Amino acid sequence: MSANSGKRSAPLTQAEPTSSLQERLYRFPWGLLITLLLIVAVGLLVLYSAVGGGESSQMLIKQGVRVAVAFVLMLLIAFSGEKFYRRHAYTLYLLVVVLLVVVFLSGVIGMGARRWLDLGVVRLQPSELMKVALVLALARYFHDRGAIKRFGWREIWPPLLMLALPMALILKQPDLGTALAVAAAGGVVIFVAGLPWRILIGGALAAAAAAPLLWQGLHDYQRRRVMTLFSPEEDPLGAGYHIIQSKIAVGSGGIVGKGFLAGSQNRLDFLPERHTDFIFSVLAEEWGFIGALGLLGLYGLIIARGLHIALNARNRFGMLAATGLTAMVGLQVVINIGMVIGLLPVVGIPLPLVSYGGSSMLTIMIAMGLLAHINIHAKPMSGGGV
Amino acid sequence: MLEDDHERFRVDARRRVLTLGVGAAGLFAVLIGRLFNLQVLRGGAYRDLAENNRISLQPLPAPRGRVFDRFERMLVENSPNYRLVAIPEISGPVSELVGRIRQITELSDEQIEQVLKQAKRQRAFLPLKIKSHLSWSELSRIETRIHELPGVEIQAQARRHYPHGALLAHVLGYLGEVTERDRKRFPNFRYRAGDLIGKTGIERAFETQLRGHEGVREMEVNAIGRRVRELARREPDQGRDLTLTIDLDLQRDAEAALGENSGAVVALDPRNGEVLAMASSPSYDPNRFIEGFRSDEWRELITDPFRPLSNKAVQGRYPPGSTFKIVVALAALESGKISPHEKLFCGGHLTRHDHRFHCWRRGGHGSVNLKQAMAQSCDVYFYRVAEKLGIDTIHDMADRLGFGRQSGIALGGERRGINPSREWKKANLGKIWFPGETLISAIGQGYNLATPLQLANMMAAVANGGVLYKPTLVRPARGREPQVLRHTRLRPEDLAFVKEALEEVVHGARGTAHNGRPELVRAGGKTGTSQVVRHKREASGKIIKDDDPTLRDHALYVSYAPADDPVLAIAAVVEHGGGGGSVAAPVVKQVMDGHFARRKQWWERRAL
Repeated sequence: MSANSGKRSAPLTQAEPTSSLQERLYRFPWGLLITLLLIVAVGLLVLYSAVGGGESSQMLIKQGVRVAVAFVLMLLIAFSGEKFYRRHAYTLYLLVVVLLVVVFLSGVIGMGARRWLDLGVVRLQPSELMKVALVLALARYFHDRGAIKRFGWREIWPPLLMLALPMALILKQPDLGTALAVAAAGGVVIFVAGLPWRILIGGALAAAAAAPLLWQGLHDYQRRRVMTLFSPEEDPLGAGYHIIQSKIAVGSGGIVGKGFLAGSQNRLDFLPERHTDFIFSVLAEEWGFIGALGLLGLYGLIIARGLHIALNARNRFGMLAATGLTAMVGLQVVINIGMVIGLLPVVGIPLPLVSYGGSSMLTIMIAMGLLAHINIHAKPMSGGGV
Repeated sequence: MLEDDHERFRVDARRRVLTLGVGAAGLFAVLIGRLFNLQVLRGGAYRDLAENNRISLQPLPAPRGRVFDRFERMLVENSPNYRLVAIPEISGPVSELVGRIRQITELSDEQIEQVLKQAKRQRAFLPLKIKSHLSWSELSRIETRIHELPGVEIQAQARRHYPHGALLAHVLGYLGEVTERDRKRFPNFRYRAGDLIGKTGIERAFETQLRGHEGVREMEVNAIGRRVRELARREPDQGRDLTLTIDLDLQRDAEAALGENSGAVVALDPRNGEVLAMASSPSYDPNRFIEGFRSDEWRELITDPFRPLSNKAVQGRYPPGSTFKIVVALAALESGKISPHEKLFCGGHLTRHDHRFHCWRRGGHGSVNLKQAMAQSCDVYFYRVAEKLGIDTIHDMADRLGFGRQSGIALGGERRGINPSREWKKANLGKIWFPGETLISAIGQGYNLATPLQLANMMAAVANGGVLYKPTLVRPARGREPQVLRHTRLRPEDLAFVKEALEEVVHGARGTAHNGRPELVRAGGKTGTSQVVRHKREASGKIIKDDDPTLRDHALYVSYAPADDPVLAIAAVVEHGGGGGSVAAPVVKQVMDGHFARRKQWWERRAL
């Protein structure tokens, strides 16, 4: 802290000196790390129950390896040099766009959708990475614009284009959930950057007007899922099955839950996709309202800490990026849990750090690494540290 | 200026970030509210739903009650049906499995094809039936090598079994799969598709007692129906056993006496109306209804002109012929219009209303009194009596003796027969009664139709001194009075006289039933021969050859014994058998001989 005190009055545009490792360790958000470790631990326990308690230990080991790799990556990002991500934001963005195009041309087809790139060892889902890449690119864009008095169409169309291009590619896969998550994360960055309320409201109205057109463009199964949200009981063995079974699982958990490995809905195969998108149902069934609240609380801590980091960021890029990344994680939590408990349509968004799967884990950890990175290089007056 | 802009931006952005924070908190609050609603407020309801999801109630069928004869000899039992069952998930590919099983026990290509077809249709964790009805030798052969076949087991199922096969089949009845009509019959009971239910006979009549109450097994199952474990079990209550009034020995004798003939024999205990034997021929094996018929077997069974599935004892209707003369004689005596010793002339026929009414004996019987007329079964005598009585008097007496009414025996499909009267004809044929029809009625022809059970019960009422009991198949509880259908209130002297005449029929020198004379006791009886095609014969004007079996007369005989203290009343009908005295009487004699021989043996053994 003392080493940085001299730079307090330095203008934002001035080059910042690289701080020492000792300083970085001191400024590293340890509380965030502990929260993440707790969530990941809970996630592994629930996954253990969801895949059949030891029967499929291979899945558990795989997920554990992913967690470890993701953690290492997170630390690497957290402690990497300053300005790297701002400088390379567009490059990263373009790289992921290229990956999306490659997926579009020759991706691996799984569950009726073309979402993955087979890299031999791992299957990568570029649309997940796009969430991060888009946030960084938009942050860079608005950072470069500097302080502007008025925010008009002239300023708004480039970021909208940056958002629309990956969205179109992801929708084509088709992956409505991820497309929405990408759009939401980008939208948050644009909003915080100073999007005038009139444009925001105007945009919302335009979206409402365009909704019927969008509806036409949806796949049948997507439309059915949206419809099912409103009356799942009408098609209990078809599209409504997931929601009904999930609600039964969550509801039957009661206040304290049925106990670890004791969720009948989970253990008896009633819950579909319970190790991925519906893993929260398993937790809510076995650990009850208390457990669900606990996990939500942990996510709440992450969001609060993420926004706190944003508020104390050294520069505009850091602030926008931190906000966008925090929003990305928070929205995924809300959308995933919202769909599992029957508040939102089933769109296929994993629960951050808990759902089985590598790309999502990687993406969230990269985002967390960036948050830590931003915190490490925060304004000295914020008090740094935790 | 620049600093100001930056500062303004910073303030605006901070406000926006905080807005996002508030928004996030709001969204989380919605999630928590929803979770509170689902888990805390409605947790109990969802818990119930979860229970229903995972608990499957599986019925444990109750073994039906067994059925015994009056001496507690087994008539219907539940025998274990041993089936070879495999769980493909454990046993491995079914095609290989059947190959291995084939080395141990016989499996036809057809059976293998069935098994493979079924295996494709059902899930691999459900038991797959390989072969049922294993014999003892098959069973022991498989048992010794079962360890070589993982996932294969032998299951025992309670299976209805009729140890005597076709014997008594019509009384016992058979089981079949529940139909919509069956369900309507028992609206308070739950039957599932494929359940077996009594279709005929005792099995049907006492369905509610025999059925018992099924048990339940609570199985934990997962979403695709795989059983995980048993949670609870309530054992089934076996159905109630029934003890019938049937005497298996008498039944066997009755069926043996009928032999290949088509017809029926009913034996009652005249003292209480208990049915000792009820035979209907031809018969069928009720076990086949459990095992299943081949389509050709079934077609043969239902198209057989001798109707093996119908119980002729209660469903067959025959003109009673001369056996009906008992009724007319009793009516005549009671009316006082004929004195016992009054003689009437028979010249072989009687001409009335431009029509000649023949006696069976073309040459005539000359002048005969009631006893002689009965013994020789003179038709003309009874024509003359009928003229004096009128159809109404005859109808009333027949009615008192149970003709034209159901006895109410606990068997399905009992027919009423026809006891004609003026009202009956008006109501059913819309025509008035002709006087000539009274004459025909008097000899049990014309419109008259009776079931073998009605004939036996009439005979029993005459034998026991005038009480018409309700025929019963199930032994009543100890000390329970037999149910009376009707007290005929016949005068004892009239009954005594008729019985004398009936003894004369059997033991008299000129009696028509000398073929029905039992070896060990004296008996009373009356033969009957009822014309099948009288109208046809007259219309065509030709005499149809007697050797066309479907046109031959029905042979009838009713009898009771011992004459002084009757314990047995029997009616026999042999369809198209010819003369009652020559065909039906020997049937009854054979039954009586067997019965009284056994009684004698029993008394002798007791005396020792």
